[in-house]
Amino acid sequence: MASERQIAANRRNARKSIGPRSGAGKKRASGNAYRHGLTMNITSTAAAAKQLDKLVRKIAGNTEDAIVLERARAIAQAEFDLARVRRAKVALIERASALGELDPPRLTVTQMIRLVNAFERGAPIPKPIDDLATMPPQEPERSGEAVRRVLPELRKLNRYERRAAARRDRAVLHFSTVSFNCSLKL
Amino acid sequence: MRRNELALLPKLPLLITESNDEFDALRDAFERQIKPRGIIEQMYVHDICSIVWEILRLRRCKVVIINSAFRSALEDLLTQLLKQPGQNDWHVQDEAQALAQGWFTDKEAKKQVSEILSRYDLDESAIEAAAITRSSTDLELLDRMLTSLESRRNKALGCVAEYRANLAHQLRESADRIIDGKGVLRVEDAASKRSTAA
Repeated sequence: MASERQIAANRRNARKSIGPRSGAGKKRASGNAYRHGLTMNITSTAAAAKQLDKLVRKIAGNTEDAIVLERARAIAQAEFDLARVRRAKVALIERASALGELDPPRLTVTQMIRLVNAFERGAPIPKPIDDLATMPPQEPERSGEAVRRVLPELRKLNRYERRAAARRDRAVLHFSTVSFNCSLKL
Repeated sequence: MRRNELALLPKLPLLITESNDEFDALRDAFERQIKPRGIIEQMYVHDICSIVWEILRLRRCKVVIINSAFRSALEDLLTQLLKQPGQNDWHVQDEAQALAQGWFTDKEAKKQVSEILSRYDLDESAIEAAAITRSSTDLELLDRMLTSLESRRNKALGCVAEYRANLAHQLRESADRIIDGKGVLRVEDAASKRSTAA
């Protein structure tokens, strides 16, 4: 473990740093705050941007009015965000169904102490529980168990889904007002 | 027209164990009822179907969670019922475990379990209650998610109605403006010209 002096020296040195310099370093650092990508802009890939543009055009119709197009884009963007959260949900369940769990098992402090004590006493070290072995082999029990195991994560994703849906509803409301005003001008 | 619009909307991903045909049948049923017009209404119908599909998935999961807790619930219940005064759990645990295991496959074991339950005026619903109690944490989470999904489904249905009402109101207003603004003015103009000529 680092001493107080070492920690202080590290902090001093870190203050002198101006961050990553190479292209690869900058790219890596740009993902530092990345958690799950659910708040990421959909247009980050060319294919997605093209698909989004098509939907925007379909919603807005033949108009060239910038405000109407912007509102239509907000609707399409929210719709794609919704789809992304739904994909994440399905991927979570599929992963739990295939592997039995999401992350590799981590021992709690108590479990670690028990393990060390057992090792010191010369007792046989208990085998870790295989999550996959405890998964039911047949459907629908397997999918049900997979959903049960990822319930807390699914609930968190539900929050994102609700927000995206609310954003879409607001955008639709704004769009209908703006497109009506635009048609009055014509 | 409908196929073109559907192709523009992001496809709902399904679990590999779920059927695309069943989802399409559900969407067709909703489309027949709601009769969406235009891409925005189609979007809402798609959203409602996705939510309903997820509700059905979670309801299936709820049943599975209760069913899979049956064996351990029965084991706990039998341990409690078989235990005589002064005995510990481990005195009856093996018997309870064997009976709980046998309850699913062996008719004799099932009969024996029913007898033990009836001694305390209980029946098989006591096993179900124990299974629900055992999985109450998961069931509560599931229920919250179901409530949230149901409220979103209702909101989406409301949004379709609101969008239609809004559109109808705007169309009415446009029609009124055309009649009041242009059509009526021309009639008045013509009338005034006639009166001046006379």
